[in-house]
Amino acid sequence: MNSDPDEFETLRKLMALKRHEQPPPEYLHQLSSRIRTRIERGEGQLNLWDRLSANFSLRPCLAYAFGLTVCGALGLSAISMVKQEMEQAADSSPGATLRGPSPAGAFASQFKPATPPLHVANWLGNTNPTAESQPELPLFGTSRAARPVLYEAGN
Amino acid sequence: MLIKRSCDGEEDNTKAQLEKPLVRLPAVIPEEAEGVESGQISDLTLVRNAQREDVRAYDELVRRYQERIYATVYHMTSNHEDANDLVQETFIKAYRALKTFKGDSSFYTWVYRIAVNKTINFLKQRKNRLHMSLNDVDLNAENDPDLVALVSEKTPRRDLNMAELQDKLNAAMLKLSEHHRMVVTLHDIQGLSHEEIGEIMDCNIGTVRSRLFYARQQLQGYLLDYLK
Repeated sequence: MNSDPDEFETLRKLMALKRHEQPPPEYLHQLSSRIRTRIERGEGQLNLWDRLSANFSLRPCLAYAFGLTVCGALGLSAISMVKQEMEQAADSSPGATLRGPSPAGAFASQFKPATPPLHVANWLGNTNPTAESQPELPLFGTSRAARPVLYEAGN
Repeated sequence: MLIKRSCDGEEDNTKAQLEKPLVRLPAVIPEEAEGVESGQISDLTLVRNAQREDVRAYDELVRRYQERIYATVYHMTSNHEDANDLVQETFIKAYRALKTFKGDSSFYTWVYRIAVNKTINFLKQRKNRLHMSLNDVDLNAENDPDLVALVSEKTPRRDLNMAELQDKLNAAMLKLSEHHRMVVTLHDIQGLSHEEIGEIMDCNIGTVRSRLFYARQQLQGYLLDYLK
């Protein structure tokens, strides 16, 4: 690739300039105390995600392994959930043994017609929508219970 | 410890193995820092104390390596403010993750790896929104024989001054891919060896050499006017 060691000699001289670029004089003295302050303020605290990401950034292969594990776990749980659903559907639907489990059967077995709301129910049997929905209030505010009438002969 | 794993090797690295490093700076890697050097507490002791939430021990570790980490991030971003944020986040993240540090590598390599990953991620996110905020060149640059020769030589741009050269150099660096720029920064500016860079960047030496060669070639192309 390069057999001539002097090929980059001038470039090497030029790169020396970069070594003379220095930060402001007090900067490095303040840097460590800034870092210490931030750590003492709690920025150095480690939660689970920080710990994981710290490990991942140092060992990228760990990140891949972790990603694969998570994907695998998600895939397996999805498969087991689908299996479970299908088994439930097969158990609950009539004639399941004949038809075999099917997603449509599972949905059909779970479907129960909902009770219609009260006002709809009233409308179905009565043209007065308020007839059954209102509580039976006593007329004129007092309850008047029916009393048996006794009729005596000869009076 | 040398990682022999092959990373996302993008270039052929057969010839690159022959290449030699151009710059060697003295004593950058702290093999000595792991041991006790003239009464100094070792990194490992400080790490163990910091793992028990001794913030002062961690503060000492930060002081030891902040300059090198800052320099790396700064040369990668060419922006002081971004480098400042990234260095702080690097050390905070390292503190958070300190309990996972087992001592397989040196603390220095470990924290460097965090800084490198963080910086590369940052640069990828900000791909087209980078702007330079350069530090001043120190006074020693005026006395650097290499630079003096370069600036005073009768190049096609005789009026070239140090600030302009700095600007062009940083602009050229920003044109490199993140991985190429990182290798140039670690090797040609900071003086790390291929092995150390391989360990930090989690790839083999061949890939490091190959990236370095291509990066230098690209830089030469970008800076052709200044290298004649």
